Amino acid sequence: MTTSPTSDQQNSGRRSGITGKQKKRISWALQSFLILIAIIIMLTPIVWIFMAAFKTHVDVYQLKLFFTPTLENFGLVFDAPYYLGDKLLNSTIVAFVTVVFAIPIATMAAYSFSRFELRGETAMLVIILATQFVPAVVIILPFFVMFRDIGLLDTRLGLILVNLAIVMPFAIWMIKGFIDGIPMETEEAAMVDGSSRIQVIRNIVLPMAAPGLLTAGIFCFIIAWNEFLFALILTNKDAVTLPIGLALFKAEEGDLWNLLSAAGIIIMLPMFVLALIIRKYFVQGMTMGAVR
Amino acid sequence: MRDNTLKYLLVLPAVLVVFATAVWPLIESLRLSFTVGRLNRPGSLDQYLGWENFTWAFSQEPAFWNSVWVTTVYTFLTVALTTVLALGLAMLLAPGGRFRSGVQTLLILPFAMSPALIGVSFRFMFNPEFGLFDAFFGVIIPPLADVSWLADPVLAFAVCVMADVWGWIPFLTLVLIGGLASVPQDTIEAAQVDGASGWRVFRDITLPQLAPVLAVVIILKSIFSLKTFDQIFMLTNGGPGTATQTLSHYIYFNGMKYGQIGYAASVAWLMVIPMIFLTYAYAKFVFRKN
Repeated sequence: MTTSPTSDQQNSGRRSGITGKQKKRISWALQSFLILIAIIIMLTPIVWIFMAAFKTHVDVYQLKLFFTPTLENFGLVFDAPYYLGDKLLNSTIVAFVTVVFAIPIATMAAYSFSRFELRGETAMLVIILATQFVPAVVIILPFFVMFRDIGLLDTRLGLILVNLAIVMPFAIWMIKGFIDGIPMETEEAAMVDGSSRIQVIRNIVLPMAAPGLLTAGIFCFIIAWNEFLFALILTNKDAVTLPIGLALFKAEEGDLWNLLSAAGIIIMLPMFVLALIIRKYFVQGMTMGAVR
Repeated sequence: MRDNTLKYLLVLPAVLVVFATAVWPLIESLRLSFTVGRLNRPGSLDQYLGWENFTWAFSQEPAFWNSVWVTTVYTFLTVALTTVLALGLAMLLAPGGRFRSGVQTLLILPFAMSPALIGVSFRFMFNPEFGLFDAFFGVIIPPLADVSWLADPVLAFAVCVMADVWGWIPFLTLVLIGGLASVPQDTIEAAQVDGASGWRVFRDITLPQLAPVLAVVIILKSIFSLKTFDQIFMLTNGGPGTATQTLSHYIYFNGMKYGQIGYAASVAWLMVIPMIFLTYAYAKFVFRKN
């Protein structure tokens, strides 16, 4: 439905003599209308960026809905002086390596938290949870000083190390949730048959948890990819990532919106795809199991 | 290997990583907050200063109090608006069906967007010459037709709030849809048969059932609102003047731009204190579930 229910339609609902069926239809129309508005508000900024990315630098500075699309912006952002390809490579490497380190470490811990009683377990889990809520700006000050002293400023390695700080809590809590959901019987049966704990983890738990591990990995990848403050403070040339790269598209006359938008698409499109793949687990992951 | 040893070995790497990347920087920040801590002065990072950074913030820095005020209002507004609007949207989408499920899928998109990019996109939308939202508001509220939103302190703040709410509604909506699914449908139907109005059903059945999920949502959103940095940095960079300078932004500026890392660390620690309370509250909900 494209037209809005008018206000007299709404008012007529309150008048007596209206049948339940009519009332239902009015309520249906009103709800559809509100949902439609929500969709429009939600999509407009995204669609606008998509459109701007295909506009020429003349069209982008006008409020134009119809224009001749061009692909030149996507070429320009990868050329001098922007070299967005380097940032793309940095972002990919940093996010990927962060995940490659985080997931195995988190899986080991998650298995232990899920299957065993540990001394101080609650305390450990609370601290892990709490680190997620520490403002990034608090964490980064000492790291900046340390990295300056040992020469890790503006390196991918430095960025990967601090990114671990933000993804680890999510990864541990998320994977723990998945392992909690795997029944223990198969493991116990295998142990009775003489398998060691390590064999059980490798042959039974890991295959069963694989989809969960992949989900957690994708989730952490998105977080590391979108990370901004650490990269802003720690990098300035060689290790600059995509979100920081956005600041490049400024000229003396102001922002270069067509190029900014093209870069914006390169940042968000892969994440849209990844987010859609794991959409069922998004809520659980973000709330660390407080809401399922 | 015995399980008893193994179980601690398994958590050891994770505990080490968390200590190195989160606990150590927290403690080191606390230490720095009691030092002179100038980035350009070697040795000043170990020069003990006592409480002076803290007293300086409290007594000599109107900019500090400004950022506290901005952050407080920002947090209050974004939490309230996001929660209320997300609850409304969740109730609209909860009944399911193909159309509504499709919309729920779309909700993932804004949340997968880098907050920095959200900031950029809202700066674009509110550009005085070719911003779509700027033009739209100009039409529906004629007095705003000729204003430059981001140059006006109040309106720039409003844009920051809008960008934040826009970015967070989808996620909160998804959480609340999950919460609504657990509200017993037969109780609602029974109340409707008894002739209870839609509002009564909402107030007396839905809302109390939803309270724990709402609490989680509000705590989580408060934490993220208090920390806000990326969007503001790209959207207004704290301006005009310091009208939209949040605490994170104030800390960033003092630490990184002015090189006063000791002072920045002390303000950062002042920010950790409310976080501790919020995290405590949040942890209670998480462990009640497990």
